[in-house]
Amino acid sequence: MTNKETERKIRQAFSNAVPNIRDSVLSDCKTQKGAITIMTDTKKKHVWRERLIGMAAALVLFIGGTAGFQLYKTNFAIDSTISLDVNPSIEIQVNKKEEVLAVNAMNEDAQIVVGDMDFKGSSLDLTINALIGSMLRNGYLNELANSILVSVDSGDTVKGAQLQERLANEISTVLETGTFNGAVLSQTISADADLRALAENYGITLGKAQLIQQIVTQNTLYSFSDLVPLSINDLNLLSESGNLNLENIASSGTASDKAYIGKDKALEIAIAHAGVAADTVRHSEADLDYEDGALVYEVEFKSEGFEYDYDIDAVTGEIRKNKKETDDSYIPPQPVETPEPAVPESTQETKPDTKPESKPQGSSKPAQNTAEESKPAYIGEAKAKETALSHAGVSADSLSKYECKLDRENGIMVYEIEFDSSGYEFEYEINASTGAVVKHKKDRDDDYHHEEPGHSGSGGSASYIGEARARDIAFSHAGVSSDSVSNYECDLDDDDGIMIYEIEFECGNCDYEYEIEAVSGAVIKYERDDD
Amino acid sequence: MIFCLTSANDIRTDKDSAWLDRCLSGIAVRDSQALADLYDSTSPSVYAFAFSILNNPQDAEDVLHDCYLQIHAGAPGYRSHGKPMAWILTITRNLCLLKLRERQRISDIPQEEWEPYLETCEQVSPEDKLVLTECMNLLSEEERQIVVLHAVAGFRHWEIADFLDLPLPTVLSKYSRSIKKLKKYIRKES
Repeated sequence: MTNKETERKIRQAFSNAVPNIRDSVLSDCKTQKGAITIMTDTKKKHVWRERLIGMAAALVLFIGGTAGFQLYKTNFAIDSTISLDVNPSIEIQVNKKEEVLAVNAMNEDAQIVVGDMDFKGSSLDLTINALIGSMLRNGYLNELANSILVSVDSGDTVKGAQLQERLANEISTVLETGTFNGAVLSQTISADADLRALAENYGITLGKAQLIQQIVTQNTLYSFSDLVPLSINDLNLLSESGNLNLENIASSGTASDKAYIGKDKALEIAIAHAGVAADTVRHSEADLDYEDGALVYEVEFKSEGFEYDYDIDAVTGEIRKNKKETDDSYIPPQPVETPEPAVPESTQETKPDTKPESKPQGSSKPAQNTAEESKPAYIGEAKAKETALSHAGVSADSLSKYECKLDRENGIMVYEIEFDSSGYEFEYEINASTGAVVKHKKDRDDDYHHEEPGHSGSGGSASYIGEARARDIAFSHAGVSSDSVSNYECDLDDDDGIMIYEIEFECGNCDYEYEIEAVSGAVIKYERDDD
Repeated sequence: MIFCLTSANDIRTDKDSAWLDRCLSGIAVRDSQALADLYDSTSPSVYAFAFSILNNPQDAEDVLHDCYLQIHAGAPGYRSHGKPMAWILTITRNLCLLKLRERQRISDIPQEEWEPYLETCEQVSPEDKLVLTECMNLLSEEERQIVVLHAVAGFRHWEIADFLDLPLPTVLSKYSRSIKKLKKYIRKES
């Protein structure tokens, strides 16, 4: 039995022994009146002191009673309005002290989120934390739709901007949920009367109205009313996909497109429909767009002398539009005179505006050239790595466990890149032809031990020998072969400031425990326990 | 097995702290679901920690009950320092100390009450019973606290040192000694 197993048994035993008083606890809390004094730790005494000072100050202010108006302004007048939009749209009004005066649910979803919570007098931070908790619980924020817009409307622009930044940061931290990360858009409201009227007309928050207006200004193909029903995640996806440069909107994280079929799948559908071989496809592009009341992937690619253009429904994968044109820029790799058409009849264009094949030479490539031609110029591993690193925002020297391989995903050649950096595991797929980031993932690295308080850690994990090496050292020291070992476990642990691999395993009738210094690989301690 | 191992590691990560913080914010604005969520995820730790100090099922149950009333009342004043579990267990510990003072007795006496109590718990398996009894018999109060904080509440060793105000090497050595003792006895008995 290993330590981990013992720990698990202890945890399970205590969990099973918890008396069943859940219902009485919950109902007693509900009927609880007034506040019970909380006894705090000696270490936290200062919290009390602060509160006492605060109370004393309030008392002085009250007794002084000098400026009743001032008091009113500080306590009861709306100083700023903060709106949160996901699809639920919620407006929070706060006074000068950032205490909540009112929380308004702006749509039905918002009513569900707000429920019976009572925010009056709570701090703004606490209110936002509780609202986001409720949005997560009710499934409005999840890995399928992870975007939230926070907008600050304050008379004081400097304060508004500060508040915007602070809230955006806090919300992204709150949304690091482990299963997904949030995408936070934030802005301060600089609304004129027109925008206020628009927001009121459509029954949306000023924040959402301002975001939609910005998108519409940038892409005139969209109309304001078209975009009103879209969630913030969809709006975020559209602006990311269309590379819109939204002024005054700060954005962090990436909007999730997991509710949709995804660019790769859209491309795959289009290629399959076109009836061309995946390895002949060049210059492929797939962007999310909004057409005729639905989100679509606009897919474009070239293959053997033709340009293809598709609109694929982002939810169903249905082909809404397709178009095929000759590619004027096409230079056949080895023009060989071959008579007439090699183009499959089945891929005939369905739009009247497509030209007939005007380049018999380009479209009639002999089969034996395909293999050669399909070895396209890839961007190369170095370039792919650079793209991934700059996208991740990490420097090359902070990397560990770097891996790169060329692979085919959904018919596209990609560089699969994996690395660890400063406590996160990154995974990237970089389109090998275009260099575009096809997929990326960032996870907390559970093995990562950063310098904890009171420790002088011995440098980055990059300099450790690695688990595999530590295992080999332990096995060879014990004189056992890896195939005779069972219940093997290895943990990187901080032992009094020295990073060590703790290795446990069983072999025959013996338990072995090793501690191996993570940097030097020295065996610090070993134990053999005969059963 | 793999799942159990990872969950042992993952029991309290930073993401869980954020989750607990959100629950506490919800409790502050009287969101009853948030309270239920918090209770479900933290009650084993609160109970186990209370037990490790009090060594008496009735007292531990009282503390468990009062602890959530205090959390409920105190949540509006709670300020996150990224350590919600430490806050909850601080309340637990203070309630335990109050209990000890109230009853004017030392924690290590009433062994008998523990085993009959376990008999009444339907969920407790014979192996659970063995584990719990050995925790009480073999370990000192301090060792018990250290083991519970790591194995049940998921504290890291340095967090335990911080929480119990002990030097880290002490925590590390007491922990490994305690686990070793338990392992040996549990194996022998089963």
